[in-house]
Amino acid sequence: MFCYQCEQTDRTNADSGCATAKGMCGKDATTSDLQDVLIHAVKGIAQYTKRARALNVPDNAADEFVLYAMFTTLTNVNFNATRFVTLIQEAAQIRDRVKASYLAAAQAAGITPEELDGAAAWQPAADMEGMLKQAADVGINADLDKVGADIIGLRSLVLYGLKGVCAYAHHAYVLGGESASIYAGIEEALDFLSTDPTDVDALLNQAMALGTINLEVMALLDKVNNGTFGAQQPTQVRTTPIKGKAILVSGHDLGDLAALLEQTKDTGINIYTHGEMLPAHAYPKLKAYPHLAGNYGGAWQDQQKEFAEFPGAILMTSNCIIEPQAQYRQRIFTAGPVGWPGVRHVSDKNFAPLIQAAQALPGFKEDGAEKFVTVGFGHEAVLGVADKVIDAVKTGAIKHFFLVGGCDGAASGRNYYTEFAEQAPQDTVVMTLGCAKYRFNQHEFGDIGGIPRLLDLGQCNDSYSAIKIATALAGAFECGVNELPLSLVVSWFEQKAAAVLLTLLSLGIRNIRLGPTLPAFLTPNLVQVLVDKFGLLPITTAEADIEASLTRKAA
Amino acid sequence: MIFVVKNHTYPPLSCRTLSRVSGNIFFRVKTHMNTHAIELTTRDGEQFHFDCPAEQNLLEAAASAHIVLPAQCGQGNCGTCYAEVTEGDFTLGKHNPSALPTADSAKGGVLLCCTFANSDLRIALPFDHDRVLLGEIQVRNADIIAIDSVGENTLRLELHLEPNEDSGSAAEFEPGQFMELEVPGQDIKRAYSLSNISNWDGRLEFLIRLQPDGLFSTWLKEQAAVGQTLVVHGPKGAFGLAENGLRPRWFVAGGTGLAPMLSMLRRMAEFQEPHPARLYFGANRAEELFCQAELQALQAELPQLQVIYCVWKPDDQWQGFSGTPVDALAQDLADATVMPDIYLCGPPKLIDAAEAAARAKGVPDRQVMSERFLPA
Repeated sequence: MFCYQCEQTDRTNADSGCATAKGMCGKDATTSDLQDVLIHAVKGIAQYTKRARALNVPDNAADEFVLYAMFTTLTNVNFNATRFVTLIQEAAQIRDRVKASYLAAAQAAGITPEELDGAAAWQPAADMEGMLKQAADVGINADLDKVGADIIGLRSLVLYGLKGVCAYAHHAYVLGGESASIYAGIEEALDFLSTDPTDVDALLNQAMALGTINLEVMALLDKVNNGTFGAQQPTQVRTTPIKGKAILVSGHDLGDLAALLEQTKDTGINIYTHGEMLPAHAYPKLKAYPHLAGNYGGAWQDQQKEFAEFPGAILMTSNCIIEPQAQYRQRIFTAGPVGWPGVRHVSDKNFAPLIQAAQALPGFKEDGAEKFVTVGFGHEAVLGVADKVIDAVKTGAIKHFFLVGGCDGAASGRNYYTEFAEQAPQDTVVMTLGCAKYRFNQHEFGDIGGIPRLLDLGQCNDSYSAIKIATALAGAFECGVNELPLSLVVSWFEQKAAAVLLTLLSLGIRNIRLGPTLPAFLTPNLVQVLVDKFGLLPITTAEADIEASLTRKAA
Repeated sequence: MIFVVKNHTYPPLSCRTLSRVSGNIFFRVKTHMNTHAIELTTRDGEQFHFDCPAEQNLLEAAASAHIVLPAQCGQGNCGTCYAEVTEGDFTLGKHNPSALPTADSAKGGVLLCCTFANSDLRIALPFDHDRVLLGEIQVRNADIIAIDSVGENTLRLELHLEPNEDSGSAAEFEPGQFMELEVPGQDIKRAYSLSNISNWDGRLEFLIRLQPDGLFSTWLKEQAAVGQTLVVHGPKGAFGLAENGLRPRWFVAGGTGLAPMLSMLRRMAEFQEPHPARLYFGANRAEELFCQAELQALQAELPQLQVIYCVWKPDDQWQGFSGTPVDALAQDLADATVMPDIYLCGPPKLIDAAEAAARAKGVPDRQVMSERFLPA
């Protein structure tokens, strides 16, 4: 295996990347290699869907498969090698279907169809052993010797960003959000990658194009989230347990949570959110269920301890799963793109087995002492009081905004984000999103004239809110986003964050502080490009970075 | 019977051999020449102790002693398992320098996953004791709900776990695992493989071969009755399904070695796993075969499952395979185009013969997983 797609990739050697029998995320070489093969197969689909779409025979079902397949290859999503064998076989079948419809459409239009090679003409081996042999030719660094680390790094930036785009688009899709232009953009990017591109500018342009597509995806996701469940409202969420039977729901899929809430109403089972599911409490149609009882635990990397101690059943609806421990392996269920060998999977939103487990398990023996956090500051809530916020800036009550958010992770360097948020001066507002918030969301931030100093915008899936708020403020102050008293301090871990980063860069947003470390796939040359072009800044210390942000030293 | 697991997919039982002697369980702790005593002290002052062989890293040695410390990558990269050695001599292996800054290592900072003891050690953990998971074996009461004769000298024992505060009514275990049953009134435990799968009603099912003069057998025959309560310890054991793509799975069972195979096949049925599957189930005489109805029901749920009954000393009426399951296995391996994963459970002669047959036909050792009953 070779994989360096996430922040915790192996950096013990000079050449960073997980290249042994098991990656840092717990993925074994077999699964990782099969994921490389699946991505290759998916490129083959896109080579044809792109051309079929141009002839007015788009195959949205094939595009939906692409979203799902790409989502399964994110860092902490699917670890089930067997699942990838079947997905690879399915991908080849779908590719052949799209190819047939493309050929037919070309013939009908009197056009000579293009003869495609590479992934478009590739055939998966009959069994896993054969597929693993094929992996050597299709991994991200397969032609490193030929093209060099910079080109491999740029292809990685495009591929990993694209994985994030697909994951977000899949989140939108499961709530009924689809768009031809998004599918076309994803097809274009995969088709581009299938050519094994070597031109630096073309690769950078594709990365920026993906950032633009991702903005569209995030807007669509925002629309379907709010359309399905109502716009987020500021809401107090209990963070301590209530006596009784319990189910814990983690991941990002609000649709799965909604289905489970409906199936458990009047059962006496309390539903708790975990990790990125916390913002669910802010949506009117979800919080209307009285048994959506509270939030349990912290960010994803603490799950092995927290799940082991949770006295009920657990549902993992999307990233980030880590190896289920023996103590809860029987009582954790996966859904959607998630998978772990030997763990029960619910593919049809029929959560009866999960509910049965929760009823058999003991539940919480007693109430915890009441404790709350406040969530729900999506763009509608924040911009609903825009006048107040703008006044506070004009009077000098609010001197600066920080967006401190993104992914959390285990690395000790991530304390930076705790320190940053907690040390931000009292006349500044901290906006946050993603699971990085768990590093500081229990801290008492207070308020500025009634405006809370900590505004939780939602999941990483809600990054659109941050962009919308920044754009609206820029409009109010008649300046560009880069001229606002706003600093972005981004914590990345995996590929969804890569997609959001590309969006921010494609919007021309400069001086983003990125940490806790820079992606291993960005070579020194590529980092220099990002620094020169976008003013991208590696984090230093919280104190120095706050100081620099406030004095705009880095601007 | 001694119970030895090979090619398990769980962390290796590296400093102990799990043994099952004629139903008696004991842990044989190998005496290491170079085993060091480790003392862990948490931030809030709790202490944990375990022995660490020189060749094993501290994190794994702690886990072997059921002390599960916070850790993630296990490869010296993420820094999650940071701790400080306050006394003793150690070797720190290859790790990511950014996960262990020089300033930290200067004060005894280590990453437990890549640290090896050269002497007894005292270690300070930078977190409270509630961060430490203690993987303790559960001990529960279970009521007998059925004792059925399923074949000559073979009983099916079904227990129902009494719900308790910590586990509710759940019976949580991996297919292929076993439990130890205490003989009532005697300080003796016997280990038996579970033949059903993890469930939420608290049901445990065992297939038990009655041994002449066996302690548990005698108790089962003479005293056991529906409604009685047993104390059960477990689940335990690392025999179980390996994930190797869609590679065919062939199960070879002798006698009550069928139990873990039934459990694994039932799990495959529950998950609707598509792997081609075969069960070679052998007995000396046709009358000794059992669970045919259960296997037939399983085939209805798992249509790809082929069951090959093998009788070593058949009578004239026998129409199935004549010979041992190993004979049948060897014959089919000769024709196999893809080398299957092979799961073996039964008496040692059967397992040794099956392993030899598999090796002779070119099945890689890593694809052969076994659990053997050894007469004490």
